[in-house]
Amino acid sequence: MDSRSKKILAVLVVLCVVGGGAYVAIAALGPSQTTTDARPEAGAVLAKTDLMVRAVDPKQTNLNGRVYEIDDGKVRQGSGDLACERVYYAAGHGICMGVAPSGVDYDATLFDSRMRPVHKIALTGLPSRARVSADGRYGAMTVFVTGDSYLESPTAFSTRTTIVDMASGRQIGQLEQFAVSKDGKPFDAVDFNFWGVTFARDPNRFYATLGTGGVHYLVEGDVRTKSMRVLREGVECPSLSPDGKQIAYKSRIGTEPRWHLRVLDVATLADHPVAESHSIDDQVEWLDDKTLVYSDGTNVYTVPADGSGQAGLLVRDATSPVRLVAPVG
Amino acid sequence: MYQVEASKALLKPSLWARHSARLSVPRNVVMLGLVSLLTDVSSEMVATVLPLYLVFTLGASPLVFGAIDGTYRGAAALVQVASGFASDRFRRPKEVAGLGYGISAVGKVALVAAGNTIGGIGAIVAFDRVGKGIRTAPRDALISLSSAKENLATSFGVHRAMDSAGAMLGPLVAFGILFVAPARFDAVFVVSTMFAVLGLAVLVLTVQGRPRRAPKPETSTAPSLRAAAGLVRDPRFGLLLLAAVGLSIASVSDAMIYVGLQRKIDFEPAVFPLLYVVTAIVFMGLAIPFGQLADRVGKVPVLLAGYALLFIVYGLLLMTSLGYGMLIVCLIALGGYFAATEGVMTALAGAVLPEKLQASGIGILITVVSIGQFLSSLAFGALWFAIGLQSAVLIFAAALALAIAVAAPLLWRAQRAPVHG
Repeated sequence: MDSRSKKILAVLVVLCVVGGGAYVAIAALGPSQTTTDARPEAGAVLAKTDLMVRAVDPKQTNLNGRVYEIDDGKVRQGSGDLACERVYYAAGHGICMGVAPSGVDYDATLFDSRMRPVHKIALTGLPSRARVSADGRYGAMTVFVTGDSYLESPTAFSTRTTIVDMASGRQIGQLEQFAVSKDGKPFDAVDFNFWGVTFARDPNRFYATLGTGGVHYLVEGDVRTKSMRVLREGVECPSLSPDGKQIAYKSRIGTEPRWHLRVLDVATLADHPVAESHSIDDQVEWLDDKTLVYSDGTNVYTVPADGSGQAGLLVRDATSPVRLVAPVG
Repeated sequence: MYQVEASKALLKPSLWARHSARLSVPRNVVMLGLVSLLTDVSSEMVATVLPLYLVFTLGASPLVFGAIDGTYRGAAALVQVASGFASDRFRRPKEVAGLGYGISAVGKVALVAAGNTIGGIGAIVAFDRVGKGIRTAPRDALISLSSAKENLATSFGVHRAMDSAGAMLGPLVAFGILFVAPARFDAVFVVSTMFAVLGLAVLVLTVQGRPRRAPKPETSTAPSLRAAAGLVRDPRFGLLLLAAVGLSIASVSDAMIYVGLQRKIDFEPAVFPLLYVVTAIVFMGLAIPFGQLADRVGKVPVLLAGYALLFIVYGLLLMTSLGYGMLIVCLIALGGYFAATEGVMTALAGAVLPEKLQASGIGILITVVSIGQFLSSLAFGALWFAIGLQSAVLIFAAALALAIAVAAPLLWRAQRAPVHG
């Protein structure tokens, strides 16, 4: 290397180190936040049932939002300072999944009936779905993980779903390790992904989605025996009605990431559409045995489960609706 | 020649007594290693945060990005063959490699300037892939042509160790930036661009484009396309290709192995990302000693021993459950397998190929191996689905034994056969 090349290289190194360092320093000093101060607003339709929602800033939907209660049509911030991307709550036990304070990692906070944090669980990917069984015993969390193998594509996504004991915060199992059967025979493939758990009244029984080979199966599982069996195709993010008779779910339109909401009868597995014409990417919640409540990413809507009527705006600037049987906090 | 002190712990006096404990690596190879290190820091920084960026800043569903990805692989494979030949034909491996590094650097600048639409990011990812496809064959040819034949495997080991060091540093740098400046992805992209520019600058300013083994333009003619295509039928290189494709088809990809391990081990999900890190550290640590070993005892035995390490991995995948101890053994075997095969195979090609067709041959080899890996993944996935993980691993173990048995004599003949042409 001649002395001119040496000089050029030295100048470039200095420029890059100083330039890059200065840029990072300015970015570090500038305002940066992981939680929004957005506040939900009650919409035109009043809910008879109390709801828990997570606030969302429509311009930055993936900042953590604080948790609010919609109580008799009035919006009230939950006690504590819980903020997250996805929330669920039942019988004194809640899950709040979101960006960790570092802004780099994700974590889940398990909270109690007064919204006080009880356990923290580190998450290995982007929060997607959260559910707690009606008796508050088990929780289920789905995250998106990236295939971070250095020889493979770093941008391919897969999901991972974990069942936790809500009281202890202990992990009971990952659905990826449960045995699956289809038509009475063992069923397995390298690309198995699970998401969207919903628990039955007996919390050991649950439903979930199994995605493999471009097909999305509805599976019914058992926490105790760590097993699942395939029920039918074409069901994502199942949500069991409070009476356990119907499952609301999202049904993919072709192969695109677009979905219509449908409801199926658990006994016959027959299904029908509901009167929501927009694409919805959410795990639906049941307001009561006849009404669905869900979010399009920025607002919360309701629609009758039997396919009649039309969708109505329930809460503006909120996602992740949860039916509350008793007031919280 | 550059004198680099080797890690003494790895050098057993009994085995190395006749040789110097000092590692002799051509300066050009170290500089190319530095180029790869800087470039890998740059691209791994982006790769690490891109999914977070898409979802966090752009509000994209992760599924949308899954669809963007994986469409450009075929194109990148074809680019490898073409760029290898172009580099031989114009006798300009440095310039062709520089084009590849430059395209990737431009992609990083584009990310800073216009990385706020999903379509734009898809295009930038494609750009980066093409850049990588263009640079690999001419860069490996430069490493080969800069090294004496008896030091080829050591040179590739040094390069691969530096390359994977960059791949490991990248995520650390990216997370470090996001730690001090949460959610400031633009800062990650700016620093990534700096690393890409420095990588390109080191290449342009320090790497010798006509290294010692490079054919002299005065005494040799530019190779024709026919000559490059004829490599496939070359009595030595043809055998090597055959062995390489067989071995790669019988090898389960690391991504599949990690998924298999995940089913077997009841560990906390937070442990999972560490699997890649441990494997990469082992690869980085063993690439140089295994390269030296290959130069001393022969490339073929080290290469075959590397594939034999895969048997340990397969064996552990067959066990019903794995503890942490077994998991560590498995990851060490996996990292060792990469260290003993990836660079050593290219070194073997470098030794067998005529000087004027080095880049063409290496381009063909990389493409053939990646096609083999693709077929392997298809077959393993299909077998897993049809007959279960256990049986699929057993079949691959049998296939690997067969592939090693067939490849061994082919590789020996490739290495020993009289020099062609």
